[in-house]
Amino acid sequence: MQTVNLTQMDKEGIAEKVIAMGGEGLLNCVQCGACASVCPVARAGFSLYCKNLIKKLQSGYMEEILEDSSTWACQACNRCTEICPRDVKPSEVVFAFRRIQAEELAISTSAFTPLMSLYETGHAVYNKRSKELRKKVGLPETPPTSIGDPKAVAELQKILDDSPMAELGIFLNLMSRKQEK
Amino acid sequence: MSKIGVYVCHCGENIAGVVDVEDVRQYAEQLDGVTVTRRNLFMCSDPGQEMIRQDIASGLVDRVVVAACTPRTHEPIFRTTLEKAGLNKYLFEMANIRDQGSWVHAHDKYGATAKAKRIVASAVGKAANLHPLEDKFVDVTPAALVIGGGVAGIFSALELAKMGHKVYLVEKQPSIGGAMAMLDKTFPTNDCSACILTPVMVEAANHPNIELLTCSEVADVNGYIGNFNVRIRKNQTYVDWNKCTGCGACAEACPVRTANEFNGGMDHRGAAYIHFPQAVPKKAVVDMSVCINCAGRKLGTEPRISKKTGQPVLAACEKACPSGAIDRSHHLPAEGTLRDIEVGVIIVATGYQVMEKENFPEYAPDSPNVITALQMERLISATGPTGGKLLRPSDHRKPRTISFVSCVGSRDVRHHTYCSRVCCMYMIKQARLIKEKYPDIRIFMHVIDVRAPGKDFDEYYTRARDMGITFVKGKVGGMEILPADQVRVLGYDVDLGSNIEVDADMVVLASAMEQPPTAKLLARKIGLSFDGAGFFKELHPKLKPVETAVEGVFLAGCCQGPKDIPDTVSQAKGAAAAAAIPLCQGKVRIDPTISEVDTEKCSGCGICTPLCPYNAIVLKTYSGRPRAMIDITQCKGCGVCTAACPSAAILLHGYTDVQILSQIAALTRAA
Repeated sequence: MQTVNLTQMDKEGIAEKVIAMGGEGLLNCVQCGACASVCPVARAGFSLYCKNLIKKLQSGYMEEILEDSSTWACQACNRCTEICPRDVKPSEVVFAFRRIQAEELAISTSAFTPLMSLYETGHAVYNKRSKELRKKVGLPETPPTSIGDPKAVAELQKILDDSPMAELGIFLNLMSRKQEK
Repeated sequence: MSKIGVYVCHCGENIAGVVDVEDVRQYAEQLDGVTVTRRNLFMCSDPGQEMIRQDIASGLVDRVVVAACTPRTHEPIFRTTLEKAGLNKYLFEMANIRDQGSWVHAHDKYGATAKAKRIVASAVGKAANLHPLEDKFVDVTPAALVIGGGVAGIFSALELAKMGHKVYLVEKQPSIGGAMAMLDKTFPTNDCSACILTPVMVEAANHPNIELLTCSEVADVNGYIGNFNVRIRKNQTYVDWNKCTGCGACAEACPVRTANEFNGGMDHRGAAYIHFPQAVPKKAVVDMSVCINCAGRKLGTEPRISKKTGQPVLAACEKACPSGAIDRSHHLPAEGTLRDIEVGVIIVATGYQVMEKENFPEYAPDSPNVITALQMERLISATGPTGGKLLRPSDHRKPRTISFVSCVGSRDVRHHTYCSRVCCMYMIKQARLIKEKYPDIRIFMHVIDVRAPGKDFDEYYTRARDMGITFVKGKVGGMEILPADQVRVLGYDVDLGSNIEVDADMVVLASAMEQPPTAKLLARKIGLSFDGAGFFKELHPKLKPVETAVEGVFLAGCCQGPKDIPDTVSQAKGAAAAAAIPLCQGKVRIDPTISEVDTEKCSGCGICTPLCPYNAIVLKTYSGRPRAMIDITQCKGCGVCTAACPSAAILLHGYTDVQILSQIAALTRAA
């Protein structure tokens, strides 16, 4: 890695922004590495995981790491937050960073399918084949959720349309596609 | 015929794990003069000692050999056992089969057992020839000397004074206070150093039992515990302190401008000056090494009378002094005045110095904006050169970026291998104080790791992170001077895995605490030894932390090793408590295992007198002829004179020829 000049890096406001977006414990981190030792993202070999993401944000990195899609591999298992000795809540920092990434449209393509599913069904993950299984064990085909409740889905879509997520543009496309049908 | 009891100790597994203790016991059984042999898991335990006591009480033994560990720690225990049983305590001999047997021959059980037998045989051989000896006692001079008037010396002196003992507190500077007087605030509470120190300085100065000797140094030390003769040199101040009121008029009037040591050389003082504003005693001194003799007259001569005014032409300081304390017509000896004092105990609390930046060519010492942490203390202190405003030395502008560099000279085999213990904390303290006052200044802390092992220390460090102070894990390897008086700090960030640079307006070096070179001179006068790091060596790192190898001399504060203020004060109070023991007892015991001259045999040749390392032997006239005489208070029983005497006239009690030869005989006899 090339030498980093810490004084020349535009560090102003980066920590503040991450804290404002929910990563309140950012400055508490002493880089002990306990979070990374149990982090599935780190263990799977992704390049940017809790510990080094926090270090880079503390050092004033943003532009350089904005496009890194590793953070979207976080499954919010929260093991990092449970183990952290400094109350950093690393998962909250990862999510704060993801919110910043989303603002900049630096969303991983892997996140699109669940988002679209959420808009369509109210479920980020919904397995259509579960209908048969439910029938087999004597349950109604659809659970008592937004599935099969167009009114609930419409309400949810209204909420999402009014949320910052609408700015991603993907929902609008979805709706226009529906209208075409 | 003596009745010798041999007691073999297992020392748990320490001895018995290697040496066949039963074999040793059986071997001892058949040695000449041995009447009883026993063994125990721990001879020093109550049951072990009871065993010995009962054997003595029932008349089975009148000499005791314990085959166990080192006499250094355990001889006093067993001697007391003998004493309690009514036997002279010097009829005891220790066979060290642990340190000299099982520990060094752990790989060779057979050999270790064979060696243990010989060591026991040697001790038994000597025991058969032991004689009862009697302790001697000498009176203790009821006074103490404390060398060094820093926070350690002040507290040692105050503790002893409050116990009712007379104390001489010697300080070479014009004021007491030491390094702590230079500090701005103190971690981890951020309370003002002067605010907590000044009242104690005043208390020490006002205490009726404390005699303050500032501007003074120890010139020579003679004597021994209970009776030290100390020669004190009061350095020449050129100011009559009986008249001086500490008004400072002379300091203001003095035309000289020389670097002010108290402010780390970052501002100036006159040749006439007062050490610092809260100085105790607040007295002026004239530093003749920089005095320019502004009135143009030789010191010690009458002033010239001005033709114009008819008045004498006086130097600026003389003229300014309202109380007539400065009179340059007096002939004052440049070397000061000597004074002899007698004390029973000495506490050495001479403190430390910090390494200067010139020792580190890699850290741009030429830049005025690279300073030591002690200089930073002065820069942020209200009594410092800038009145507490943080302005960088080169252009007196407020810095925007500051780098703190840790482990400068510490934990570095090129300088000092030890950790200076306080640097991490004082760097964090300075960074926090700066950040509190100037939140816009960016602060980088370059550390190998942060060491915050004290009460409330880690919490103090955590708060520093919350305040937005950046910690960079990695030692700084170099610096480059940039235009505009900036310094580029070349570092490494272990967590980023990358080289980093900081373009700093100021760099603070947390340079190592070290023993000043003057410590060697004092050590020679007192007989103190040094540890591997160059600090004064305590007698035992855990159990005798304030005692030294010189009986009656104690240590307090950083002269024994780097430490913070709480530890220094604790040690100072500990040293005072230890030093009070001989003062309270009023008498000190003289070990009888020392040399004695048989005046009938002595030829008065004088060979022994220059050989004695303790100056204990003098030639005195006895029946009209010179005869060697040994001062029992000075003799340490080393035996040099005994070995050198051509007439075999000197006897070393406890190590007589017969005793030593019987040991040799036992050792050389086939086991």
